[in-house]
Amino acid sequence: MQNIWLSDGMGQGRRQHNWKSHAALTGILLLAGCGSGRQSVLNPAGDDALMLFDLARVMFIGALILWLLVAALFIYVTRIAPREFSRCSAERLIVGGGVIFPVLLLGALLIYSLPLMSSQREADDGLEVQITAEQWWWRVNYVLPNGDTITSANELRLPVGARTGLRLNAHRVIHSFWVPALGGKTDMIPGRETFMSLKPETPGIYRGQCAEFCGASHALMAFEVVAMEPEAFAAWLAAEAADAVPPQTPLARKGAGVFAREGCGGCHTVRGTDAQGQVGPDLTHVGSRVSLGAGILPDGVEDFANWIAHTEDLKPEVAMPTYDYLSDGDLTALATYLEGLE
Amino acid sequence: MTDINKHEEQKRFRAEATSLWKITFGPLVWAVHFVATYGLTALTCAKGWPLDPLRIGVGVGTVLALAGILWLGWGAWAQWDTLRDREWENDAPTDEDRHQFLGHAAFLLSIISFIGVVYVALPILLFGSCQ
Repeated sequence: MQNIWLSDGMGQGRRQHNWKSHAALTGILLLAGCGSGRQSVLNPAGDDALMLFDLARVMFIGALILWLLVAALFIYVTRIAPREFSRCSAERLIVGGGVIFPVLLLGALLIYSLPLMSSQREADDGLEVQITAEQWWWRVNYVLPNGDTITSANELRLPVGARTGLRLNAHRVIHSFWVPALGGKTDMIPGRETFMSLKPETPGIYRGQCAEFCGASHALMAFEVVAMEPEAFAAWLAAEAADAVPPQTPLARKGAGVFAREGCGGCHTVRGTDAQGQVGPDLTHVGSRVSLGAGILPDGVEDFANWIAHTEDLKPEVAMPTYDYLSDGDLTALATYLEGLE
Repeated sequence: MTDINKHEEQKRFRAEATSLWKITFGPLVWAVHFVATYGLTALTCAKGWPLDPLRIGVGVGTVLALAGILWLGWGAWAQWDTLRDREWENDAPTDEDRHQFLGHAAFLLSIISFIGVVYVALPILLFGSCQ
């Protein structure tokens, strides 16, 4: 690109114009990227994310002011009024500007930011969710105040206006739990439970992502977070606690047969059926989830078929085998059955 | 330098021969405060003990450590003696310069130790929980 500018004979003006338009374009793209924000710290939708957003703004504005001061001082002493400093005033500048001022500034920022850290881990208002990171998906268990547990996977639903505690574990390697629009990031470490809590304020669907490299499909280890009004959440939780709905159509019934024949129940649980496997995600209500394959596909019949027939292509090194030998008929039936598990 | 002067100087700063390790006192206070603070916090959080005694203990320990460092720093400042002789650097190969240089080094180490103790204590004094 640069060679073209230099060799096209239009000289400096053209080059500068191109540079400016490129910078403008980059700026627009960056801003556009920020605005859409389902997975953005710049689009805070919860208490904790708002707090972190404020913290980031304070730090950014502080850094900007500091940078402008240093740059202005630099220009002043080198361009506007260059002169020789006495040893004493030079030392005053170094000790004052290089030691005392930064120590006080960093101390003030530390005092301002430390209390924010513990508020990100406040106790919950009654609901607790245990999340265990697997390669490369999420085990999700809702623990009710009475001790009952409701098992789900690859999706987190939270009531708005209430603080939900998250007990985080990992199975084999270190992962990290992060929903940028709702709060900070917490590592998930095998053999060591970590805790954080989230308090969403705006209902909506946000995206979370594993934020610690955890193997071949780390980038494909995501999940959807649905923040719901408390009544809607309570209704959803009651439905999630129920057993799976039996297949309603002949095609879905055929799909249930394929599910049993292929041994899917060896790894997956569908509550209310013989399928009680614990290796892979719980599929009891998989048809009602927003996404499939831990946040990488939408949740339609074609997507189920696509996933089952191309698991290795869609998620390299995933434990689930690729069922590419299934006939189109069987595949469609199986996908219809799964999509119907609402 | 005459022999008499030399003799005088040797007599005045004889203590210096064994006092190199004196400059480690400031960082040593910092290190003890650091280990005690981190150790007590880990113990309190692991055992689920109440936090208030920990915070009071760390607060008292911090005040003591800072007082100790201030005292050491004051002694080092006097030893550096930069206000009286207006010598910022002491790089001559004499016992007096060695004496003052060690004061200078100990003074700077006291400053960094003071800041270190404050920054180590702040999280425990400001955090409301073990989380």
